[in-house]
Amino acid sequence: MESFNFPKAVAFLVVLIATNLTGAISSTVSHSTATMHTNNWAVLVCTSRFWFNYRHMANTLSLYRTVKRLGIPDERIILMLADDMACNARNKYPAQVFNNENHRLNLYGDNVEVDYRGYEVTVENFLRVLMGRHENAVPRSKRLLSDEGSHILVYMTGHGGDEFLKFQDSEELQSHDLADAVKQMKEKRRFKELLIMVDTCQAATLFSQLHSPGVLAIGSSLKGENSYSHHLDSDVGVSVVDRFTFYTLAFFERLNMYNNASLSSLFNSYNPNLLLSTAYYRTDLYQRRLEEVPVTNFFGSVMETIHTDSAYGALSGKQLKSGEIKMSSDSSGEDRQRILENSDVKDQGSSLNIKDQQVTCPFTRTLSTIHERVEKVKDVDGLVNFGLVLVIPLLAVSSWLSS
Amino acid sequence: MAEISEAQPKESDETPQPSNLDPETMRKTKPGVKRLILTLSVLFSFLIGLPFLLKSVEIYRSQLPFRDIDSLSAAIESNPILFPCHFHAVFVNFPAASSSSSGNQLGFSIYSRMQKLFPKTPLCGTCSNYSVSVTLDSSGLLDGFKYDRNLDNFDENLDEYLESVLSKDGKYTVVVVNREDVEEVRAVVGKFRHAWIEGRIENAEELVERIAEIFVKVFVNGGKEEGSIHGEFMPVGADGRVVLSFNLLNADPRDWVYDWDFQSIEEILLAPIVEALRPLADVGVESQVLYHTPKSSFSYWDEKLTSHVFSTKDLPFFVNSNEWHLDTSTAAGGRSKVLQFVVYIPSSRECPLFLQLPNGELSLTNGFISPMWGGVVVWNPPACLNISESTHPLRHTMSLKDMKKVFEIFTGQLRQLFGLKSDSMVTSASGMSILLASERGFAKWERDVLSRQHTCFNLLQCGTTLGSLSRLVQSLPRMIIMDEIGKQVKFSLEAAKLTLTNASLGIYDASAVSSRQARSLAEDAFYHPSMMSVSYYSFEHCFAVYSPFFLPVSLHVLLAVLREWKRYKQEQKKYLAWKNKGI
Repeated sequence: MESFNFPKAVAFLVVLIATNLTGAISSTVSHSTATMHTNNWAVLVCTSRFWFNYRHMANTLSLYRTVKRLGIPDERIILMLADDMACNARNKYPAQVFNNENHRLNLYGDNVEVDYRGYEVTVENFLRVLMGRHENAVPRSKRLLSDEGSHILVYMTGHGGDEFLKFQDSEELQSHDLADAVKQMKEKRRFKELLIMVDTCQAATLFSQLHSPGVLAIGSSLKGENSYSHHLDSDVGVSVVDRFTFYTLAFFERLNMYNNASLSSLFNSYNPNLLLSTAYYRTDLYQRRLEEVPVTNFFGSVMETIHTDSAYGALSGKQLKSGEIKMSSDSSGEDRQRILENSDVKDQGSSLNIKDQQVTCPFTRTLSTIHERVEKVKDVDGLVNFGLVLVIPLLAVSSWLSS
Repeated sequence: MAEISEAQPKESDETPQPSNLDPETMRKTKPGVKRLILTLSVLFSFLIGLPFLLKSVEIYRSQLPFRDIDSLSAAIESNPILFPCHFHAVFVNFPAASSSSSGNQLGFSIYSRMQKLFPKTPLCGTCSNYSVSVTLDSSGLLDGFKYDRNLDNFDENLDEYLESVLSKDGKYTVVVVNREDVEEVRAVVGKFRHAWIEGRIENAEELVERIAEIFVKVFVNGGKEEGSIHGEFMPVGADGRVVLSFNLLNADPRDWVYDWDFQSIEEILLAPIVEALRPLADVGVESQVLYHTPKSSFSYWDEKLTSHVFSTKDLPFFVNSNEWHLDTSTAAGGRSKVLQFVVYIPSSRECPLFLQLPNGELSLTNGFISPMWGGVVVWNPPACLNISESTHPLRHTMSLKDMKKVFEIFTGQLRQLFGLKSDSMVTSASGMSILLASERGFAKWERDVLSRQHTCFNLLQCGTTLGSLSRLVQSLPRMIIMDEIGKQVKFSLEAAKLTLTNASLGIYDASAVSSRQARSLAEDAFYHPSMMSVSYYSFEHCFAVYSPFFLPVSLHVLLAVLREWKRYKQEQKKYLAWKNKGI
């Protein structure tokens, strides 16, 4: 009937507009400049609060101490903590935070400079730090002042899930937000190389959407796996450290400032049997070989130095024959190698097929096939828009029937 | 009986026309249009209100000139910015060659040599179409000058004299003086825009080579091998500011405590340098004195040299960032660059402390730089050198002479941080040239080189920043763009155009200033705090908010209109059928 042409035309128009909006214009501009590595930065984020998440704060503080010991100064570390452990009413050892039940090391001693504390640790602030878009009044100590020769270490710990990370129990950081922030950082040349370490459940999904070159990422577990805490401190009453971070710290205890182990030895030192999860890392966006990259490229602070030949002025008459001397940290050999089961599981739907054949109940079978189909859908935005557009004719039908 | 009487007129009405009027297909009266007009008016009011509704939910986006940004980026990236340069050679005291044709020949041979020295594809910031002019002067130029090499400050005097005599039209000049009595040929580059070669010149080929090399290697490339621009030697912040932070570090104040009179040394030595760098950057100066700041690398006692020695391998670990709280600047804004200059006074356990170079010699300056960070100089206090002096922690002040020496090293380090050499010699294929030191830290021609390179770098950054901004804005069509961003982009584009104009005219200082403005405005626009992608409206959000209000009502209105229209058409058809049939 001709009366229905008008709604159909409207539906068509809306579909057109919808498809235009979902087509995102993404162009990656990659400048391969051979800039010198000038400094190292670290952004350490603990995304949990409340007493039972003690271990996350201990994780972050332990890594903070390691990174400071290896040479990165406070002015180049951005530490984001909820900071409600040390002076918590439930803390038997006030003003002390431990990461081991032997209580040998007090992480919260002197010289801990927290840049974002308490309720300032939000997704918005984290993204602002990464992208550099602060209000004018934000002080320099709260900004990531990296340049195009900087290597940045981003460490995040807390509770996470499939493609998200929970911030302070109230909001989420999605993997595409993180990927978008890294893309903008790369376009604005805010880093030369970036290492992302994530210690949460299903950590590897958080960096699954990254596309920018020069990024290295390691997560403590794969999709569908949990990351576990290492041990419970019966005196304090909660778990005090996570496994992934515990073994990372154990690796760095063996290093000092002059020493040089490579990144591949760090990544290979994770034993899945001890971690109870698979530590997955992605190197497809990183050009250099991991055996050649010393750990101090990200975790330490080796300055590039050039000797000054002579003064300028009255002393300029005396000449020195020696030329410029550039110092760069050269990588030496590796530690003993351990075989890491690094299953490159990218396809996610295969595990469901096995379950299908075993279950005879038809309801669960149909449910799982639907689930499989939905997983395979690539263009989620289009599907959502299609659903929304479908509302209009349904509404038309119902109002026609009701009139 | 009324019923019967009522029934009768009805029957009487119907009886004359028993089967002609079928209410399904005909009607006698015109169909009424009231209902149709009513529904149409409601629909019409909805339609009138629709643009107002769309306007009220519109995302406010300031219009950015995307086409201009794209054309600017393309222009900057495809054509490197080249400046026009003019070179001038003056030959004094050459009696053999005093005709205009030989002058032209010389000019032509210099030009062709220079062409060979320039790279095939010109680098950004170097010279484009350059011209070489030659003047043959038969010893009239240097008449007012007392030529005696043995005098002190001979070079400086000659430099000043030439500056007063040569015309100041921005040309780079080489004056060749042929003196029969002097054996050795020296080449010296002055503090302004001229250089000279003097001595007994016999070989014309060699001379032309030398002149061409001075023109290209020194005046165009700044004394470096090739004139390419490295990002790590551009220490100017994104807002065009640099803060020089001078720190005096007492490693162990229990041994001795040193202070300095920074104010006086700033007025004497630093102010001219700050003034000289004005077109490149807005320079701020700060100073502080720190105590209990040991270094984190190790040194060992060398018996032969009777001093503590640290080598160049220890340099990367020298700066102890845990104890040296250098970054406490209050003057530096968020996007400025801070360069740290540190005077390190060792403790008595490590005194005197010297830097040993790989070839075994001791460094004359005891200092080093780290690009984009700053420089360190180790100064051994005099109290250390006479051990007999009492070790009371008295407050000493650094003498002005010592401070001058240290600050001269700092000037050299500042030059290194900007990509120039700290020493004053340039070695090229045909020999060594001496560079005269300027009290402003940078000679005029060096400032020209830096201005050109900074113009180039700033414009490139501006172009890429604006390009990234336009890509970002276009990829998020529902993000709010405030007016301020639009204005900043507009001004940045204007400054960039001004820079290109200035560059084509060859005004180095003005082009550096406008390029700095263009870059800082572009960075302000890109880093505007309102552009956070987490806070924009997605289409689904908008649809979900407004559709429950408008969708059901509008559908009912539409359907009502359609129904009324259909009914009107039907009744109209019936009426027309009756009209055609009857009468």
